[in-house]
Amino acid sequence: MKKDILAILCIILLVVVVINGTNIQSVDEYYLTHIDDITPDSETVTISIRCNTILDNYDDLDPALRSEEFVPADGVILPPTKYVLRPGDTVFDILDRAVRYNKIQMEYQGADKNSFGSVYIQGIHYLYEFSCGPYSGWMYRVDGEFPNYGCSKYELKDGQVIEWIYTCNLGEDVGCIWMGDEES
Amino acid sequence: MKAFANYHPAVLLVYFISVLGTVIFVSNPVLQITALLGGILFSLMLQKRSEIPGNIGFYTALFLMAAILNPMFSHNGVTPLFFLNGNPVTYEAIIRGIAIAVMIVGFLLWCKCYSEIMTSDKFLYLFGKAIPRFSLILAMILRFVPMFKRRWHSVKRAQKAMGFYSTKSYVDRIRNGIRVFSAMIAWTFENTLETSLSMKARGYGIKGRTNFTLFRFYAHDAGILNVCVLLAALTAVGSVVGEITFYYYPRITQLSLSPFAICVYVAFGALSFLPFFIEVKEALVWKYCVSKI
Repeated sequence: MKKDILAILCIILLVVVVINGTNIQSVDEYYLTHIDDITPDSETVTISIRCNTILDNYDDLDPALRSEEFVPADGVILPPTKYVLRPGDTVFDILDRAVRYNKIQMEYQGADKNSFGSVYIQGIHYLYEFSCGPYSGWMYRVDGEFPNYGCSKYELKDGQVIEWIYTCNLGEDVGCIWMGDEES
Repeated sequence: MKAFANYHPAVLLVYFISVLGTVIFVSNPVLQITALLGGILFSLMLQKRSEIPGNIGFYTALFLMAAILNPMFSHNGVTPLFFLNGNPVTYEAIIRGIAIAVMIVGFLLWCKCYSEIMTSDKFLYLFGKAIPRFSLILAMILRFVPMFKRRWHSVKRAQKAMGFYSTKSYVDRIRNGIRVFSAMIAWTFENTLETSLSMKARGYGIKGRTNFTLFRFYAHDAGILNVCVLLAALTAVGSVVGEITFYYYPRITQLSLSPFAICVYVAFGALSFLPFFIEVKEALVWKYCVSKI
């Protein structure tokens, strides 16, 4: 019986640790209704989200996604918008704030769950990796260049321009020259 | 009572392949639920009364686990209910989880029926000559789980009789389970080798070898085979044409209710309830005959 009590205590401890580690938010709490106001002396960055390449590869697209609702006719999910840059913000932080403010769906894999040590963006606006052919997924570009590392490792500076682009061919169709692993 | 088991093995094989194939490859909720119901009814007919409560417990637990796991890991879908560590838990993912659970439980129930009906001698009768080695391996794999379960219980009973861990403590029971498991692993490995050697010693795979059981293809076998093939073909055509395609992500699509789609649902319904009806018919005939004596 002593062993049973010990085992039950261990299980309770485990459950408490798991519950402590999870953060449950309601829908209203998750979507931001207010974002930092841009004042003359605040640092800003510009972010946009586009999926134009899908329009050229419509045949590869998952049939369930073939509608205006999921792939906008002009391929623009978020037009270039300026947001306040807080000190130490990474590309991921800005993206996270932008999608929360604009109520855009996003799914990501946490930095502790992959070998890159960075957040990996699996899908934005219901468009996931592999949704449009086996070489498709999300990539990001800062000031016209594709950084070859994860988005939560890139610390931003004032005035930089971030573009999140959907690629259907490992980045070749969006002007990415290096042939490395597809990491965004 | 196993009236369905009396049909020719080829008929049974075609039947099980068409049902299991549909369960795996077609993700339409109507077909999945029909298959699940058919599987439940058929396995109820085949089981011993005493096994039923335990099985209901096991499959309910499995169902709940499969249904809960999907929304934890899949965050696609247009209707977020709440957010878990920054990722949405959506209505669509929950529905999809339930659909996966229906599929898994339905599939397992049909496999259970398969192992009851298609015993290894029937399987070897069909394939023993054409592909002796492969069919022996397959037959051994297919009877592995039921055999494992049977032996598990006998080892457990033996250990209990010797007085090992016969306390009420859960920890001790788990330790006893581990002990039994390690014994089972050794026994299974040994048995695998022995089976193949024993089959070789009996001349398995040699030319001119006869089968343990002989089956004849009667007219009623042909009748059932025709019905099976017809219904399965209708289901297959329906799913290939895309008449009954159903998407869960990102938005749950409307269930197709066109005349052709309804035909497909009815056809698959007839296919999955077929063995149940045969068993019931046979039971009624038996009752009737007994009452006349």
